[in-house]
Amino acid sequence: MDVSYRWLQRHVDLEGVSPGDLARELTLHTAEVEDLRPFAPALGTVVVGHVVSRERHPDADKLSLCRVDVGNGDPLQIVCGAPNVDARQNVAVATVGAVLPGDFKIKKSKIRGVESRGMICSERELGLGEEHDGIWVLPEGLSVGAPVAEALGSIEGPGGVRALDWIVEIDNKSLTHRPDLWGHRGIAAEVAAIRGLPLKPLDLELPPTGDGAPFPVRIETAGCSRYVALPIEGVQVTRSPDWLRMLLLAAGQRPLDLLVDVSNFVMLDLGQPNHLFDGEALRSGIVVRDARPGERMTTLDGTERELGPEDMLICDGDEPVALAGVMGGEGSKVNPGTHRLLLEVASFHPVTVRRTASRLGLRSSASARFEKHLDPTLPGKAAAHLVNFLRELGQDVRLPAPPTDAGDWTDPARTVRLRGARVRSLLGVELSTAEIGALLERLHFGVAPGADADELAVSIPSARATKDLSIEEDLVEEVGRLIGYDRIPEQALTDAVHPMARDERRVLVRRVQDRLSGGARFHEARTHTFLPAELAAALGVADEPYVRVVNPASEGLERVRRGVVPSLLGRLETNLRERPEVRLFEIGKGYRPEVEGDRGQPAEVHEVALVLAAPRPGPGARFDAGAQARLTGVVDDVVRTVRRRELTWSRAEGPLPGWAHPGRTAVGAVAEAGEGPPVALVTELDPVAARRLGLEEHDVAAAWIAVDALAAVPIPRSWFQPLPRFPGVKVDVALECPEELAHAELAAAVEKAGKGLVRELELFDLYRGENLGAGRKSLAYHVLLQAADRTLTDKDCARFLDRVERAAGDLGARLRRE
Amino acid sequence: MNVDLDDHLEEARRRIAEAADEAALRAVERAYVDKGGVVAEMLASIPGLPPEDRKAVGVNANRLKTAIQEALEARRSELADAELEARRGARGFDPTVPGTPQRRGSLHPLTQLQRHVEDVFTSMGYLVLDGPEVELDEYNFQKLNIPADHPAREMQDTFWCDRDQHLVLRTHTSPVQIRAMEQLEPPFRTIVPGRVFRNEELDATHSHTFHQVEGLCVAEGVAVGHLVMTLRTALREVLMKDDLDVRLRPGYFPFVEPGFELDVRCPFCADGCRICKHTTWIEFCGCGMVHPNVLRAGGIDPERFSGFAFGFGLDRLAMMWAAIDDVRHFLEADLRFLEQF
Repeated sequence: MDVSYRWLQRHVDLEGVSPGDLARELTLHTAEVEDLRPFAPALGTVVVGHVVSRERHPDADKLSLCRVDVGNGDPLQIVCGAPNVDARQNVAVATVGAVLPGDFKIKKSKIRGVESRGMICSERELGLGEEHDGIWVLPEGLSVGAPVAEALGSIEGPGGVRALDWIVEIDNKSLTHRPDLWGHRGIAAEVAAIRGLPLKPLDLELPPTGDGAPFPVRIETAGCSRYVALPIEGVQVTRSPDWLRMLLLAAGQRPLDLLVDVSNFVMLDLGQPNHLFDGEALRSGIVVRDARPGERMTTLDGTERELGPEDMLICDGDEPVALAGVMGGEGSKVNPGTHRLLLEVASFHPVTVRRTASRLGLRSSASARFEKHLDPTLPGKAAAHLVNFLRELGQDVRLPAPPTDAGDWTDPARTVRLRGARVRSLLGVELSTAEIGALLERLHFGVAPGADADELAVSIPSARATKDLSIEEDLVEEVGRLIGYDRIPEQALTDAVHPMARDERRVLVRRVQDRLSGGARFHEARTHTFLPAELAAALGVADEPYVRVVNPASEGLERVRRGVVPSLLGRLETNLRERPEVRLFEIGKGYRPEVEGDRGQPAEVHEVALVLAAPRPGPGARFDAGAQARLTGVVDDVVRTVRRRELTWSRAEGPLPGWAHPGRTAVGAVAEAGEGPPVALVTELDPVAARRLGLEEHDVAAAWIAVDALAAVPIPRSWFQPLPRFPGVKVDVALECPEELAHAELAAAVEKAGKGLVRELELFDLYRGENLGAGRKSLAYHVLLQAADRTLTDKDCARFLDRVERAAGDLGARLRRE
Repeated sequence: MNVDLDDHLEEARRRIAEAADEAALRAVERAYVDKGGVVAEMLASIPGLPPEDRKAVGVNANRLKTAIQEALEARRSELADAELEARRGARGFDPTVPGTPQRRGSLHPLTQLQRHVEDVFTSMGYLVLDGPEVELDEYNFQKLNIPADHPAREMQDTFWCDRDQHLVLRTHTSPVQIRAMEQLEPPFRTIVPGRVFRNEELDATHSHTFHQVEGLCVAEGVAVGHLVMTLRTALREVLMKDDLDVRLRPGYFPFVEPGFELDVRCPFCADGCRICKHTTWIEFCGCGMVHPNVLRAGGIDPERFSGFAFGFGLDRLAMMWAAIDDVRHFLEADLRFLEQF
């Protein structure tokens, strides 16, 4: 909200409070000031000129040739195109060299052969709104040659800059809870409280009215709690005086004509929106009602709107004339010649107004105020203020009838008890209860003694009671902010703190991150929780159950991911454009709606997701050079590092997500941990998904490790093993077998054949080839045999190989003896 | 005979002294010591000698053999020493040739900063908690004193996960305040780093998904001064600036009363810069004394205990810290970005 410093001066004497002081003090005590800037800085560069004479331009009918005195005894000849320029006027002159808004530099020029030394300015050229029908005529009696800002009375701001007014811009968000601060009167009351200054009186009593029949008003909706209607006669619709136009401009409101300006003035002064209807256009009475489904009306901006029962209408009889609290209807515009007006000042329900304004994209300064729970006592006061202000402007206003005051409302003013001890303990400051009372009185609260000597009964005025203030702690805040939080002494916490519980999951996550980013050379990513529809489709997982956002950031972002792997897969293609290999991991969460918690919340999946994309290995590459084998190795290493356990891998059973290769997916479990969900899954990217993602040329593997399942695996105590005293023997074992026979089975058989002597067993080759025949493979192992009590001999080896040969035979495998 | 012996020895010693490598030494060894060599010939000649000479020749031959072997060993040792000495030279060494690359992965910048923040607060006795990202409306709003008609509930701010507005993507980490109160007995101190969601347009400074760190401390007699000292102390560590100053000013959050905005004195300048918008203060976090309704919702008696809470954005802090110009980088998983950290 833009606050005009000059406007505040109507309500409080700001002698000794500079615009800079004001901005700083409001920030520290009330609400955040985002900006402080001079109003219409161009007024400091143009000077007051007096038009000495005006003649027709010899060669152009519409141009005038003016001689303008700018105070230096050398009247300037200026060519002016405005129809309203005339001799004896005071005008704003931009002399040669002046720079106007829009970086418009004034130069000496020739217009139709006549020299022109400057420009007589319109309001628009000075950044004062849109008025451009003619030049801006200044009041009489100004000091000719002075900068216009100074001649009209300037105010000094930061850095010694002088301007006609200063704009204090307050962050609207910091005023959310303060409906009373949406007008200059309220801001002035804050300044008065902060500074301990008196607030100037304001007459909010309606002058006596005639005894005509009150205007009929009927309220048929709960969305309107009060509706004041006041017929006003005798207003001459003219241009507002410059000082009013300047105030409105400084407050960010474009001046139009007297009626609109006065209505806006009252809103910006008291914070209460209001509306002036053309009384002659209203035929029946006012009816406030909810719109009917599909009902249409055209708003002031000329747009036809489709409405529904959640919107509220002001009607003339049954005919909508305004969208309540949001915008007037086109038909209710005041005709220039009208003599009868109807003033509406009402209390509308904040949520109704907010929803309508937001749904129709019609947030206005009126709707912004209604949204804040305005003081319901304001409509009567605002009506009086508007009438009194019209009179202040010299309008001969007649009130033919008393105001109609319809609706069912109660004054929210209340009394809250406040214990001095509560203030002292929450703020941690030494303040007597009497001092606290005095501070609250400065803030315009009523203060009376409470039940005991330490208690105060604080009456909260209606302007603060609609939403903001209702409990003791609210008043503690009022005291705190008024004394200033910088006056609160810092204190060290002294309470006993229990030692922190060891957070297993957090420790684990950190170790996994370190291992992957260190040894495994993976890069940690973070990706969006929303799974884009096209990615879900490409990965073949669009039809899985998802938690869905009903109001997504954009279409296609409804799905909340079930796991993290798909998000990472979606980031491979762009990264692969830059480099041949990509290794990414992310530790994050996914949600599964098919598993509901006790309150209907979805099950949370916390997982380490890994993806690895690399060029396909060449024909001579090692059997474990592929992405899937490498990724399996990384997962094994992580589990070994954080849990000192080996994973047992098996073919994945049951349905798999669309991105997992149906024939090449393995799940890893910790055998010792017993039956439970798998700890990890590794797969090759499904070829169909790979094609859709443009990854066909690459060898891509993906994996996840379940954080909670991993955290649940106990770390085995590691007991000391005596160091071997006798050398071991290395033997290579090559076994040829059918494709279906698993490494794990063969390895177990080899281990068993060693009768306790197998110390190490490593698969070093896996071979398939024509010489073996179709459907057969050969696995080769390095084996280390070692005994604790003797040196092994060739005989031991020979016996071991014989046993391996028999065991292999039992499995349908054959020991290859070279 | 003796002359012969001396000649042999002299000749052998000369050749040994001249030998520049093992091959030359072996040649000497072969000529004198090995089978068929000089010494062997001498010994072989013994049976043909007069008996009185035999012993002397035998002794001399063995003496010659020993002497030559000693000379060979000495020369071998000399050559080995020379070889070692030669290896200690600087030839072939370029100190500027780079070492073997040790490639590494990287931790996300937000992870790095989050760990730093966690470490600072855990050192001050704070427990790190976690909470769900898909949250019940009750925890995200109701129990945090955000009544049904509060603007924060409107569609443009909150992602709703169902039509009846029962589930939301949490809009802040504050619901974990309630979860903490339900889990822990006061006194306690906790921080909650986590991912949050607001339905905002994406641009360089706004994301619909970002990260916050929530803080909560509940005990008897906790006052505003404790909040200030805690945050000042912690932020000096977090921002690594020992004389960092903070200030409070009024701020509105429904779940605290009184509520504040906490500004930190700009760590990048002394008298105004672009980052602090020339004010020397940077708006850092929202905070305040926990609202009594919130304490009650968490099952804590507000007459006995009080507490303070705070919350700040991790993304903004990271952007400030590493001069990152666009918040969107954080969730793009672009290696060109990630590899920088």
